[in-house]
Amino acid sequence: MARLKFLCDTERCIDCSGCVVACKEGNHVPVGVNRRRVITLDSGKPGEKSISVSCMHCADAPCIAVCPVDAIYQRDDGVVLVNKKTCIGCGYCFMACPFGAPQFPKGEVFGARGAMDKCTFCAGGPEETFSAEEKHLYGQNRIAEGKVPLCAGMCATKALLAGDADVVADVYRERVFQRGSGSNAWGWSKAYDKK
Amino acid sequence: MQRRFSSVVLIALTVLFAGSAFAGELQAGGAVTGSSADYYGQLINVITGNWQEYGQLFTLLQSQWFSKIFLVVITAVPAVFLLHYLIIGAKHFDHDGEQIYFFSLFARIVHFVAAISFSLLVITGLMIIFGSFFGGGMIIRTARYVHLVSAMVFALPGLLMFVMWLKEMLPQFHDIKWIFILGGYLSKKKKPVPAAKFNAGQKMYFWFATLGGGIMAYTGYIIWGFGATVDTVRIYTMLHNALGIGIVAFYLTHVYMSVFAIAGSLESMKTGYKPKDEVDILHSLYKY
Amino acid sequence: MTNSLNDMRHAKSLIFIGSNAPEAHPISMQHILHAKEKNNAPIIVVDPRRTKLAAKATDFVRIRPGTDAAFMLGLINVITTNGWEDKEFIRTRVSGYEELLAVTKDYTPEAVEEITGISAEQTRHVAKVLAENRPTSLTWCMGGTQHSIGSSITRTFCLLQLVLGNMGKSGGGTNIFRGHDNVQGATDMCVLADNLPAYYGLAEGSWKHWCRVWDVDYEWIKSRFPKPELMQLPGFSLARWYEGVLGEEKLYQDTPLKAMIQWGCGANSNSQYNRVVQAYNKLELLVVVDPFPTMAAAACDTDNIYLLPSASQYETSGSVTSTSRQIQWRHKVVDPVHNSKDDYQIMELLVNKLGFADKFYKNIKQVPEDLTRELGRGALTIGYNGQTPERIKKHMENWHTFDIDSLQAIGGPCDGDYYGMPWPCWTDEHPGTPILYDISKPVAKGGLPFRNRFGNEKTYDSSGRTENQLAAKGVCNPGSEVEGGYSEFAEIVPGTNWKTDLSQKTLKVAIARGMAPFGNARARCVVWNFPDQVPIHREPLHSPRPDLIAKYPTYKDKQKHYRLDTRFESEQNPELVKEFPYVITTGRMVEHMGAGAETRSNQYLAELQPEMYAEINPRLGNNLGFRDGDMVWIESPEGSKIKVKAFFTERVDEKTIFLPYHFAGVLMGESLIDKYPEGHAPYVVGECGNVVTNYGYDIITQIQATKDGLCKVSKA
Repeated sequence: MARLKFLCDTERCIDCSGCVVACKEGNHVPVGVNRRRVITLDSGKPGEKSISVSCMHCADAPCIAVCPVDAIYQRDDGVVLVNKKTCIGCGYCFMACPFGAPQFPKGEVFGARGAMDKCTFCAGGPEETFSAEEKHLYGQNRIAEGKVPLCAGMCATKALLAGDADVVADVYRERVFQRGSGSNAWGWSKAYDKK
Repeated sequence: MQRRFSSVVLIALTVLFAGSAFAGELQAGGAVTGSSADYYGQLINVITGNWQEYGQLFTLLQSQWFSKIFLVVITAVPAVFLLHYLIIGAKHFDHDGEQIYFFSLFARIVHFVAAISFSLLVITGLMIIFGSFFGGGMIIRTARYVHLVSAMVFALPGLLMFVMWLKEMLPQFHDIKWIFILGGYLSKKKKPVPAAKFNAGQKMYFWFATLGGGIMAYTGYIIWGFGATVDTVRIYTMLHNALGIGIVAFYLTHVYMSVFAIAGSLESMKTGYKPKDEVDILHSLYKY
Repeated sequence: MTNSLNDMRHAKSLIFIGSNAPEAHPISMQHILHAKEKNNAPIIVVDPRRTKLAAKATDFVRIRPGTDAAFMLGLINVITTNGWEDKEFIRTRVSGYEELLAVTKDYTPEAVEEITGISAEQTRHVAKVLAENRPTSLTWCMGGTQHSIGSSITRTFCLLQLVLGNMGKSGGGTNIFRGHDNVQGATDMCVLADNLPAYYGLAEGSWKHWCRVWDVDYEWIKSRFPKPELMQLPGFSLARWYEGVLGEEKLYQDTPLKAMIQWGCGANSNSQYNRVVQAYNKLELLVVVDPFPTMAAAACDTDNIYLLPSASQYETSGSVTSTSRQIQWRHKVVDPVHNSKDDYQIMELLVNKLGFADKFYKNIKQVPEDLTRELGRGALTIGYNGQTPERIKKHMENWHTFDIDSLQAIGGPCDGDYYGMPWPCWTDEHPGTPILYDISKPVAKGGLPFRNRFGNEKTYDSSGRTENQLAAKGVCNPGSEVEGGYSEFAEIVPGTNWKTDLSQKTLKVAIARGMAPFGNARARCVVWNFPDQVPIHREPLHSPRPDLIAKYPTYKDKQKHYRLDTRFESEQNPELVKEFPYVITTGRMVEHMGAGAETRSNQYLAELQPEMYAEINPRLGNNLGFRDGDMVWIESPEGSKIKVKAFFTERVDEKTIFLPYHFAGVLMGESLIDKYPEGHAPYVVGECGNVVTNYGYDIITQIQATKDGLCKVSKA
């Protein structure tokens, strides 16, 4: 079975936040919860770089390891999903996550965190596929429809790639190869530029 | 609550507003030079703090150790006591003889409220730790709410006990002797053990419950609302769980002592009176 | 755009000046980055700000706002002194070159450094990069146009491309990015004060042409004007219409403006916005047609305003013209929601009420298809006639058959067509013109020479030299009957020319002869009908460099500029900078669009950019004694001011303050959020950056100069 992965190409990401808004609009994610976000380093300075980050659907995912109620699980295709009915909002997954992916909407009681929400790779959740409940709790199930996630689908510069790991890797490898063939390769301008 | 919830969001949003008025925060690192590995390293730092150091440690402890240690504590400690009960058995004192007024009504009320809330804290805390055993969901969510409310309830008697018994709970030289003989509990003989109003075991529990409780309350408060940087929250969570191990162990000991090991001991917290016999043996240095 | 977004993939180098594509035109970036990655094309970004585009650039050139022309002339100077110009291209297809050199000789890199702040070394470097990496795609946007010398600045961009020989070539061209999917279409329809649709102007012949197209009596149209001469007098421009209401200036019409319809126009993109608000209150009638209430809804104190809720683009259909001149069909997704109506319905109700529906809808039985047909029938100047609704829809349905690089359909029902039939598309069989002025292809296959529009010969005022304006011998599209330059086609059908022959016989004859209907001429370096025949640098009206005002003064004041007088010389005060020491410039942010009425009403976009701010260099902020996040007052020389949050960033330099212009709902420190219709306030309100943009308008187009004003800043 294909292993689904994300890849964000920092050479391509232009910090337009289109992925963020597509995700939120398409999945009706509440304000304040960010399944995906764009991070910019050195904003306004030489070397400014941006990258779009969400749940990476890790192999051996730390969130799954630390969850005290086993609410998080991984599908065969690598997509890591949370069962919101099981989740208690303890936040351990956020502490364990190397990407800051888990998000917590405000809960009902004592300002407690609600059930964790994160990127689903647009693959819905544990409820019945295409059911109203799945859509309500987790958003669209585009993977079941044979589509790519919303974020990658709308990325204007194709910085954000999503899909079968082999295909994604091939696309990226080809790009790196092209860039490496000339002055865009890392270090070349320093090393070989004619003054 | 509102404010602390905001801080959760803020951690997330700090990064969200890259390129907008909040981007200043992110510029601290200076220009990225060198390989993409450096860049990713810097990036990870921005979103998730020092994950390499604290995130990984937390993941390791939480996934591999905490629940196992707790499991050991809640099975091994009672098992040891069961053995003790079977082999050495409970201590019996003359409840019909002379009684000494040991706990004032106020102290008893304070202790009662503390006992209930503290028990709830321990029970719900353990429920959270073994959440998967209960299948998570509403029951564990409720356990979390009860944990929070219990903590808030415990705060007052905890503080009062601290003030009320502080003097008697200060460590004294004879506590060392008490520890050496383990309070005489390994012996069936009734020999006076060196302890004043509170023995060394009670003192240790006292400190765990009050100072430790204070630490638990503060760290718990921060964890509940994610009211600090993610690294701090990680450290507090590890501290909360580690300290919890000690507290649970002492809690179980305290329960065993008061309910089983010293027959009728529970009465003194109800009536305020202890048998003179018991005081002379177990609190031999207590001046009544 | 002379080329297309996709064609930028073929560029060997790219230069952007006054364009911040990642924020203003994010989808263009995939083609730009493609060129960067695949061709190793250097990207040169010339901007006062280190923009998000600069983050992707190989060279970032920080320029003082309003000095773009000087930099371009400096590049031409370096290129021509080094002999890097495309000599053959210039010899055969360019006129007035010697007159251009006479101007550029003074713009040495050192002189350019003095004006622009760009080091002489960097100017030389950029010129070398451009010379070594041809073709270059040159892009400018509002940063190049919104200046008091905007028309000169944009001409220098074109001149650079002519000198480098980058025009009419794949990967080259002057590629001006247009905003959303139909800004080019709106431009082509000339929603302007000085033009009839398709750039026909206001001459009597133009009116008669369109009257024939509309099938209405010219005399009837004429009778609708209070005076016949007003018919040919340009109206009020978008930049200054409010002066026509306020009546404080001399007007070239009998009465001030009394009524206003703002149709899809959030007017806070207008400079001097506080004066716009005054005008709102003075109007007898203001009608706002918009899906969301614009700031006008909140800014009016009087009850003279009507809000007509219009449908969004997803609730209606019709043809639209993209930045690449491609015409596409926009299909309706849902019926208009709530009580909104689409623009056609609103127009129909209005026309019916005004009582000339019989004339208005004479050729229009099927909306919107007949609209496309009617405008295609008339818009011959730019070749809108080949794009019938049927062909456009066929293109939309066969997207997958078009090649992403060439835009040409490979097989299938549209075989050989270029996607969207980029105008000019002369006939039903013409494939569209993907690259303007490209003489490598036959005209019938999408090739074109330069247009012959300004006569066949000219004697220049500056040199006294007479030059033939037609292309040189042997330079023409393949298959051309005339091998060399030729004039535009006329009198094929007696009494008409290629622009006015509604039978379109002229077009067909020309193409059959392998020739362009509009002739084959040279591109002009000398524009004898402009005040600066060869563009030169002139200091912004409000210049921070009093020393340069003497050397590069602005124009004489302009009378009867549209229906107003415009101050130039009398407005340029060398003392101004003493009180207003910082340059103010405006621009876009990616999250918001235009005046922001729509995007600020979207919760997710509002969440991403929740606040108005001013970008200030940390050094400037620290010197002025306020901190990042403090509220500051920014005041313009016109006496207007805004209270905004200071955002410290090194994007801007120490002399420049940048404002995004999408915010509205707060006016000079006072929030108007309670004055929006109940339940319709946007999620985000903020000060309009345009309240403090300065007086200043281009001498030709009267576009507002929002990019190079002056201001002062103080802690609030």
